[in-house]
Amino acid sequence: MGSGQATQNMPFQGIVLFRPRESQKRILSYSGGLMGVAAVPGSGKTAVLSALAARLVATSLDSDQEVLIVTLVNSAVDNFSSRIRQCLKSDYGLLPGMGYRVRTLHSLSLDVVRERPGLVGLADDFAVADEAECDRLLKEVVQSALRTRPELFSNYARPECESQSWARQSWQDDKALQVARAFIRQAKDRQSTPELLQSWLTARGDPWPLASFCASVFADYQRGLAYRGKVDFDDLVSHAYTALRLDEDYLQRCRHRWPFVLEDEAQDSSRLQQDLLALLTGSNGNWVRVGDANQAVYNTFTTANPRLLNEFLQRPDVQPIEMQESGRSARPIQELANHLVDWAMEETHIPHAGTAFRAQHLRVTEADDPQANPPGGDCRVSFFGPAQSPDRELQRVVRSLVKWVPKNPQRTVAVLTPDNARGAEFVKLLQSHGLTCVELLNKSSPARSTAETLQGVLGCLADPDSPAKLSQAFLAWQWRQVKSPETRTAVQALAASIAACPRVEEYLWPRAGVTWPNAHEFADEATQFLADFRERVQRWQAAAGLPIDQLLLTLIPDLFDQPADIVRAYRFAVVLRDYSDTNPNWTLRQLAAEIDRIASNERHLAGALGEDVTLDPEKHRGEVVVATMHKAKGLEWDRVYLTALNNYDFPSGAELDSFKSEYWFVRDGLNLQAEALGQLEALRPEGRPYVEGEPSTEARWDYIQERLRLLYVGITRARRELIATWNTGKKRTQTPAVAFTELRTFWEQSHPGVEGIGEPSSPVAPQLSPDQEERGNVA
Amino acid sequence: MPKLELTPAQKSIILAPVGNPRAVFLHGPAGCGKTTAAVERLRYLLDIGVRGDSLLVWVPQRSLGRPYSTALRGPDVPAGPTVDVVSLDGLARRTLELFWPLVAADAGFDPLRSPTFLTLETTQYYLDQVVEPLYQEGAFGDVTLPRNRLMSQIIDNLNKAALVGFAHTEIASRLSSAWTGPSSRERVYEAVQRAATGFRDYCLAHNLLDFALQVETFMRFVWSRPECQAFLLRGYRHVIADNLEEDIPVAHDLLRAWVKQADSALLVMDEEAGFRSYLGADPRGAAALRDLCDREVLLDLQQVASAQVMALGAGLAYSSRSPLRQGQTAAPDMADMRSALAVDQWHFHTDMLVFVADEVEKLVHSAGIAPGEIAIVSPFVDDALRFALVTELQRRKVPVRTHRPSRSLREEPAVLCLLTLAQLAHPHWEQRPPASQVALALTRAINDLDLSRATTLVRMLYRSKDSQPQLREFGMMRSEAQQRITYVLGERYTGLRQRLMDYQQGQPPPLDVFLSRLFDELLCRPGYGFHNDLDAAAATASLIESVRKFRWAVETSDNDELGKRYLAMVGRGVLAAQYLRSGADPDEAVFVGPAHTFLTENRPVSYQFWLFANSPAWGRRLYQPLTHPFVLTRHWPRGTQWTDEDEFQTGEETLSRLILGLTRRCREQVYLTFCDLNPRGREERGPLADRMQNLLRQARRQPERKGADGFGTGDAEHAIPGDSLV
Repeated sequence: MGSGQATQNMPFQGIVLFRPRESQKRILSYSGGLMGVAAVPGSGKTAVLSALAARLVATSLDSDQEVLIVTLVNSAVDNFSSRIRQCLKSDYGLLPGMGYRVRTLHSLSLDVVRERPGLVGLADDFAVADEAECDRLLKEVVQSALRTRPELFSNYARPECESQSWARQSWQDDKALQVARAFIRQAKDRQSTPELLQSWLTARGDPWPLASFCASVFADYQRGLAYRGKVDFDDLVSHAYTALRLDEDYLQRCRHRWPFVLEDEAQDSSRLQQDLLALLTGSNGNWVRVGDANQAVYNTFTTANPRLLNEFLQRPDVQPIEMQESGRSARPIQELANHLVDWAMEETHIPHAGTAFRAQHLRVTEADDPQANPPGGDCRVSFFGPAQSPDRELQRVVRSLVKWVPKNPQRTVAVLTPDNARGAEFVKLLQSHGLTCVELLNKSSPARSTAETLQGVLGCLADPDSPAKLSQAFLAWQWRQVKSPETRTAVQALAASIAACPRVEEYLWPRAGVTWPNAHEFADEATQFLADFRERVQRWQAAAGLPIDQLLLTLIPDLFDQPADIVRAYRFAVVLRDYSDTNPNWTLRQLAAEIDRIASNERHLAGALGEDVTLDPEKHRGEVVVATMHKAKGLEWDRVYLTALNNYDFPSGAELDSFKSEYWFVRDGLNLQAEALGQLEALRPEGRPYVEGEPSTEARWDYIQERLRLLYVGITRARRELIATWNTGKKRTQTPAVAFTELRTFWEQSHPGVEGIGEPSSPVAPQLSPDQEERGNVA
Repeated sequence: MPKLELTPAQKSIILAPVGNPRAVFLHGPAGCGKTTAAVERLRYLLDIGVRGDSLLVWVPQRSLGRPYSTALRGPDVPAGPTVDVVSLDGLARRTLELFWPLVAADAGFDPLRSPTFLTLETTQYYLDQVVEPLYQEGAFGDVTLPRNRLMSQIIDNLNKAALVGFAHTEIASRLSSAWTGPSSRERVYEAVQRAATGFRDYCLAHNLLDFALQVETFMRFVWSRPECQAFLLRGYRHVIADNLEEDIPVAHDLLRAWVKQADSALLVMDEEAGFRSYLGADPRGAAALRDLCDREVLLDLQQVASAQVMALGAGLAYSSRSPLRQGQTAAPDMADMRSALAVDQWHFHTDMLVFVADEVEKLVHSAGIAPGEIAIVSPFVDDALRFALVTELQRRKVPVRTHRPSRSLREEPAVLCLLTLAQLAHPHWEQRPPASQVALALTRAINDLDLSRATTLVRMLYRSKDSQPQLREFGMMRSEAQQRITYVLGERYTGLRQRLMDYQQGQPPPLDVFLSRLFDELLCRPGYGFHNDLDAAAATASLIESVRKFRWAVETSDNDELGKRYLAMVGRGVLAAQYLRSGADPDEAVFVGPAHTFLTENRPVSYQFWLFANSPAWGRRLYQPLTHPFVLTRHWPRGTQWTDEDEFQTGEETLSRLILGLTRRCREQVYLTFCDLNPRGREERGPLADRMQNLLRQARRQPERKGADGFGTGDAEHAIPGDSLV
């Protein structure tokens, strides 16, 4: 996990060796004030921040104080906590677990609000609505608002689409919701309440229907949340900021408690996060911000903004530190990444690409560095240039892996895709070739597995007379116990028998001598299996009338034996209880359907469950990790495949490029999310004037910049080997991304004659028919 | 537990001649024998011939009167008139009914009509009608609360006004004057005021008395009348008032007048307590009653907690930040506490629960400790936690008793079954329960009917006609399907269906009568689900009582309308009026519940398990944005703002009181259990953990200083999972 120099030998379990480099020494000598650290990928920022935190805990705190570390995701919380724990114990001989607090922005906000909820109009038991619930509420509100504003669609639809029902349907079902969601998030980040927006709209004579629509949805959405006694994640941050602003004493108490604030991944800070931490630290506070603006890949239609970190680094009162040495990748791969930065800033004709990156190069480490770069001689880079369909790309990559993995069982490898759907296709094909896959896609595998187990059992309780559901419950019950192919076959056979059972009740609740299975129908062992299962289902059915949380708690001991599974299932129970309270008329079937969504949203506030949210590539040698490029951030592998590098996923603003957020039915290439945000900005008294189309154009440039940085992130995941491919999309209209072509040219010119990899001479994967090949869905 | 010898100080109180001294103020920490002395004093008075009906035992709530009620049921209590053990609400209700014609007009009611006393449910029902238009106009602005919580805070404000003794019209001004935030909240307080005033006006216009109005009417219009006061004072000549610190200001006012005129009085107060402050308890007001007394006695010789547990309590409670620290001696010796404390840390709370259940099992089944000598407490106990813990203990055959706070009626399976049958019996209400709910109801109602068969039955026979639910005849199923269900169960189904059909033929009786008849005439009979099921019978009785009170409170003679309104109310999730308690004997079952509930029971145990020791909820008050337990008191100076410092200090003090309250009710040992992640998966930090950490730090230092084997050291790295720190 991570790229810190100390992690090379002991990647996740702890830190034994930490010999700071020069730039790291400067950070470790920090004693107070403002410091900004620009850290390249693999420069060891997690290690150095952890060491700094431990030193501050040991040397600079009173007993009632803590060092506050704020980071982006839960996996990083876990990583920081274990490192600091280790440092405190091994370097300072202190009790671990005390004197510091590692939080994501949302969990920090929750801490702040929970301590004084009354300040922001909340009761002590207020709940945070999860994303699924927020989406459901927002959808209701949007659809209701659209019914009263049918003209909104006509305002923006292309003339030929105005009468197309599917265009209108797409707007109503999905797109309007996306626009409203972006607007609301931005409004909350700017601390603009629905009332304030309404007053601005009224003052300006309600000039823009889109803003008017979004403001109205915002007001209804907030009312809906309040009615449920809930807040959403964005409210949480906003409330934390408000609470601290409202009560100076409370603010001072928090400042006393957290005299040092260390912020990781600061390039992904939103304005509100920055304001919140600035408020917590105060004008003379101690605040260390660490980030890499070149890895800012979350700013499109989120509130994250990498410019904030760059501005901070340039402030005269900030001590800037450059961490440029990185021992992660072999020198040629570093050169490739550096060239991407140089090319974007100076050479390319892509408009505005010049500001995509901060001028910072990766540098190799000293020869005696504990994390010296892999030898350049081992390094291989390949750009697969010929046009290929998405399916062909899929096959080519899988074929390459089928050959490579068995030969390199001690190496790590990842396939990086631009989106989850494409990742899922890779997983499917890889698995069909017998390769072990680890998914790092939109939901974590353990969470999904827990959800599937619970759903299997709840399904049979929602349909208690269905043999098929009972069979699924049997599989859910037994699947975790399957350790061998023989057992798997036996369990599948029994499940099939249950599915074929003509009358469920004769198996589960035999009466009047009628029972299933008949004596001698199965072997003794199988009969015992079936009897055990019957006993359990009888108990589960008896509990079916309990409130959902209690029902799940009744099931859990029968289904899980691993602590992480039990805790996750318990958490599902608690969340489902929230759902049930909010929707008292929901049936068991409806509640069971929500588990999947909860699993997909193992998210902001979820605590660390070990494997749940954290992936350590070193634990998956000889397996293939499939991840989106976004999810791969912070990780590294010996070999990396970068896929689908075409002009759809990595546009350059060329005439034929299309942009995901520009809906096909909208006139003039407008990006309605961007237009809505532009109108929101213009509503503010000090805001920029709104000119239709300008926000859409700017959004294009922002997106182009972000995708260049995403490519940079992808390249810098590779230690030794990098393979880049592209595809033509299902319409065969896509071309290689401009950056792909540039990097390929650079590589071929700077490394003439170097042998490429990943171009198998003969297909290993089964041939697909041309028809099947066409069904790729990359673009 | 062996009966303790009475101390000379206790004997001097018990055996004092009546009237000499006339009034005694008995105080001291919990566990020093104050209630024991007061109970013995009661028995002594009866023994020497004082009439039972001239004795009044005054307690803040019924559960705190348990030691007296138990003593009065003893075989050696002299025969004669019974002694009243009452609290203010009981006395108010009883006296109001008696003096209603005399006081109703003055109090603003119609004296020609009898009063309707509202339950928590019916109060919510009427308040909802007042709140609705305010809700619709967005009057509660920036406050985020579910509707039932909003109403409960308005009710709480009205109660506070009555219990503290200020006009209910002052609610908003008092809250606003203490508020330090934006002015938008003041507009919300105004909305709260409008709701409270509107509700009060409605009650006066319809002769409805919620709890607040009962107390207020009693204090202002009954107690204030000389003839009423004389009636009460003349009757009760001897007063024993216990747990004064948990009582409310107007109760103290009443006692003040009473004690002045009584022939004898014994006032008993716990120090460093007042656990019901959030409900209006006023320890400062209680302490002021000592001025009325001729003699003051301090009992501070601990009779419950061991010296080690006391040392632990002092170590945790008198921390550097505790306001209670003043006047305390130096930090206690850590070595003293070793045997009184076990600290365990877990990563997942589920592991912690298993550990606690294992330890309790060992204590009960291996060490022979009576289950009643064990309490498992936590700052919060939600349904899931309660259920998980109770299941673990029951699996180990350890009897448990839980105190389940008010919860929605619809969550009781038996209640849901009855209400579903009510919907089926009244198809013209056009309320069609989902098929899965009907299937569940049938499994509850018909003995031996399993969920699989019930689902098949419902799939084939449950229909909707003109939006009306309909159960069709069993005979309409194909014979193959009838065989699947079995004829025995089919017959029972037919019996139930026929009962529901017969019922539809006549004029519908009130819903409570329907439920009562359904239970009596069918469900409790052999072959049906409530036969020999005491829990279901109790839930049925509770439901019938709830419906009946609702009927009394709601002015409609249309029984259909009544039924529909009641079901709508239940559907909105209103809280049940009564606590549903487990029937287990406190002496024979392990207590599982919130720490505050344990304290208000005032029943010591030998072993306590404190769960989630790192939760910030330890010592923290309930935050309710539309009310304030400390501002709405007599002691909060009007116009003074409630600051963060007040909040912080109050939290620290509350935690110290809680720690002292718990340890003084623990004879042998406290298990302090930490877990890294709470049930929602969040890491938490709280003040109790901080204090424990300080104590451990001191423990680390002490052996070096003393050169002795000190407190067991914990290496928290090794303590996960579940390694003992101490």
